Amino acid sequence: MYTLFSGLWKYMFQKDEYNVLILGLDNAGKTTYLEQTKMKFTKNYQGMSLNKITTTVGLNIGTITIGGVKLKFWDLGGQEELQSLWDKYYAESHAVIYVVDSSDKERIDESKDAFDKMIVNDSLKDVPLLLLANKQDLPEVVTVGTIKSVFYGSSDLIGQRDCRVNGVSALKGDGINDGIEWIVDCVKRNNFVRPPVQKDIT
Amino acid sequence: MGGLLSYFSGLFGSKERRILILGLDGAGKTTILYRLQVGEVVTTIPTIGFNVETVQYKNLKFQVWDLGGQTSIRPYWRCYYSNTDAIIYVVDSMDRDRIGISKQELFSMLEEDELKKAVLVVFANKQDIEGAMTVSEVANALGLTNIKTNKYQIFKTSAIKGTGLDEAMEWLSNTLTQAK
Repeated sequence: MYTLFSGLWKYMFQKDEYNVLILGLDNAGKTTYLEQTKMKFTKNYQGMSLNKITTTVGLNIGTITIGGVKLKFWDLGGQEELQSLWDKYYAESHAVIYVVDSSDKERIDESKDAFDKMIVNDSLKDVPLLLLANKQDLPEVVTVGTIKSVFYGSSDLIGQRDCRVNGVSALKGDGINDGIEWIVDCVKRNNFVRPPVQKDIT
Repeated sequence: MGGLLSYFSGLFGSKERRILILGLDGAGKTTILYRLQVGEVVTTIPTIGFNVETVQYKNLKFQVWDLGGQTSIRPYWRCYYSNTDAIIYVVDSMDRDRIGISKQELFSMLEEDELKKAVLVVFANKQDIEGAMTVSEVANALGLTNIKTNKYQIFKTSAIKGTGLDEAMEWLSNTLTQAK
């Protein structure tokens, strides 16, 4: 009897938790994106002022609840020497958001190299990838289409994975909801391959 | 009444945040504390017990506790954990031999319930010395990537030269203003 009720309780109130990695080169706008996302999906959330965000050399964490699931974001530092830390998180993540700075034409190739290096890792097999062409609010940026074609150069590496490219402006907050909703759909669909983190209610 | 008062003092942004400076002995904790407070390098002796100072950074007041780091007194760190907003964990980047011990201490600390909400700032200290471990080396050696629940940031600092401390405090004050 107890099992029945606790099962029911869990069914009704327990939310599946998924981990989402936010990666990309330094200064791509990962932390800004995370803060903006938290602001959009959390009621009464007082974010830190976006212009005060400095370089991340470590880990920022954010949790949002959407569509009956919990998404936990891990935003890692993107500097070259810190990229060696990324792979430690792969095995436990359910989705990857990769942020590209569209205003930095010179580093697009570098960004793609880091992306390739990331997706060949076996621990990231069959995770959905969301590619964000960030900073679309600035004038004279590389268009979403161009970034798409650059990154689709590695489509054989991407393989069967769900993959999508979105144009966003993390600073202005444009285009964020769409991507997050897509992530939610994907991780839900993918939960046989990568089951959610189960947290017991005690 | 006290709650009301603290609410109002919160409005003026002068609520004190509680910060602990921890790390093995000889990492440079006391030097960092006084560097933050008076901006000078003071001559220190090994701390047995603690030093506590109030540090003002911009409009935030920090109550900074610097606890002694020797093996025999590390068990007492936990007496200071409650209500801690942030931990500054100082690592001697030259001390390759003991970084493993430093890691153990860090993780046994992070397991404490009272620190679940605390922000972690790691100082890879003594960067002024040639041959010091780089930030990523320190991060790897400390196993920082195993941290999945606390927000953390690592800075390279030199308490003697005073480098890196400003950025770290800037980041900390931004983070702590947001967290409440």
